[in-house]
Amino acid sequence: MRHGRHAALRKEGGFVLALVVLMLFAISVAGAAGYLVVNTEFSMAKFSDQGAEAETVARAGLHRFVAEQLGVVGDSVGYAIGNGVALVTSRKIAELDSLNHVYYIRSEGTVIDVLAPGSPARRVVGAYAYHRKRPLKHLGAMVVAAEGGWSQGGSAEVDGRDHNSSSDCPGGGAPPIPGIIARVSAGSLSGGDLAGAPPGVTWSGGFSQIYDSVAVRWDILTDPNFPVDFDGVVPNYAGLPADSFPVVRVSGYFNPGSSWSGRGLLIVDGELDAASSFVWNGIVLAGAVDDIHEGHIRGMLVAGLDGPNPSSDVYWQGTLHYYSCYVYAANESLSYLELIENTEFEAF
Amino acid sequence: MIAMLLSSVVIILVSGTFLVQSQYYSSQSLHVGAHDNARVATERLASEIRSTMQDGFVVAGARTMTIRSPIVLGVVCDRAGNDVHVHIEGGVAGLDVDEVAGLGMRDSGTGAWQYRNTTWSLLNGGSVSSASVCAGNGADTMWAASEFRQLVEVNPLFGAVPNEGTILMLFRETTFKIQTSVLDTSTLGLFRQVYGESFVEFATGMDTTAQFQYRTGGSTYADTITGSNVGDIDAVRIVVDARLPARSGVQEDVTFGWSVNVAVRNFP
Repeated sequence: MRHGRHAALRKEGGFVLALVVLMLFAISVAGAAGYLVVNTEFSMAKFSDQGAEAETVARAGLHRFVAEQLGVVGDSVGYAIGNGVALVTSRKIAELDSLNHVYYIRSEGTVIDVLAPGSPARRVVGAYAYHRKRPLKHLGAMVVAAEGGWSQGGSAEVDGRDHNSSSDCPGGGAPPIPGIIARVSAGSLSGGDLAGAPPGVTWSGGFSQIYDSVAVRWDILTDPNFPVDFDGVVPNYAGLPADSFPVVRVSGYFNPGSSWSGRGLLIVDGELDAASSFVWNGIVLAGAVDDIHEGHIRGMLVAGLDGPNPSSDVYWQGTLHYYSCYVYAANESLSYLELIENTEFEAF
Repeated sequence: MIAMLLSSVVIILVSGTFLVQSQYYSSQSLHVGAHDNARVATERLASEIRSTMQDGFVVAGARTMTIRSPIVLGVVCDRAGNDVHVHIEGGVAGLDVDEVAGLGMRDSGTGAWQYRNTTWSLLNGGSVSSASVCAGNGADTMWAASEFRQLVEVNPLFGAVPNEGTILMLFRETTFKIQTSVLDTSTLGLFRQVYGESFVEFATGMDTTAQFQYRTGGSTYADTITGSNVGDIDAVRIVVDARLPARSGVQEDVTFGWSVNVAVRNFP
């Protein structure tokens, strides 16, 4: 009896179940296909975004490389920017003259998708840049944005005649430059020596004229985020090649003695007030300079880059001699890249 | 009877769900297609517009735009008679020589570009001795000798041989046109024409509102720029509203509004 009822149930219920299972399967397939379509669209949108991001990373890397360049142009460098990496390489293409070279800068930006690390989004941009090798002009042995610049006292010497000769370096034995350039008056006092061609020059344009003529990127050089060779520390010159003229930066009031003596490009982001034991071979750039200065510089001094010098008159009591070879060497530490407008392009 | 009734209800419910699913899938496909059409069109356009240098716009109309965009830039590292030796990123291997429509020269004083139409076959002077000649002028040719090439007969193009350090451009001249699609005549398509070639449709499904707009400083965009104002274009708005016709009577056409502003990077 029981056996007969089971047989009847099998006959009555079988087709509905099979049909429902079939329809559910069809719904699942349609749902999966719909999900796949939406997911593909999402992935494509994401890849598109990553491509755009890679291009932005490449451009950012290129501009950062150019902006941070100081001194010898680096061969290649990588930057982690946002979610990507920019690999920047440079190649010298031409030497326009001894002071200006042309470089090709190539930046490859990649953004890696963690789900597909083997195929990152990649974009390449390129641009050309001038390498300004010696940007600081030899304006005068002492250029100061004060009203008066003076060589004062029996042991004071400010001399714009070149103390190097052609045998010291290429370009050595340069024509004489002014001894002192100041805003209102320049001369000697109390037996101080002043020489140059001419010995003293006044620029009525004041600080602005001096700042613009020097053409130094002072705001960048003094930015704490701008990398320099030695920031607030004395280089170990014994460990440096003899022809190395590093960039040394100090901040605030600076009263160097013999321990700070050295060579290179000295950037004083503050007031320079050197003691008589201080000797520097190269270029000194200072935001301001104290009224009485006793140190010794073989090269050039440019002071008052922060604005009109706080001390209206600067009395130089040490020696300041123009050495063109030291200036050339230190000047190359100031060299920088200047992107050529209208040359940035995307390499396909 | 009860079993028949219940099974009918179940079948109707399941069938209804299946039909809704199918319509959803169909609708999603249309949306995806519309998005893809718009995206493909804008990305291809934007990549070419973005690199366009100043004065690179030739025609700036609502439905037609012709631009000269750089394939590659190069710097003159030596001159010889009417010819120059240049560095080209990637060398010829990275160059689509068929797309070369001419040579541009950057004025080192003003930064402006002069464009001259020519072909790669007329310019190509090979790479013989270019690397060594340029190395003699200070170029770093290490591992990149093949990237130094000779371009010939440059003098007749510009009236003078460019100096060392002058930046040249091998450019493509591309015309983009929005017109009736060949693939789907009920919609518009985006066509691309390389200089001297015929139009090729590379995106379809554009709505009738699709067009180009141009900015010449300020913040407003105009449909058409003519005359000397073409040189002042500093941004292009690509309006590629997409439309895909419905696949069944229960659906409506799928439209997708999409516009992108592309700034010309090299505008000073």
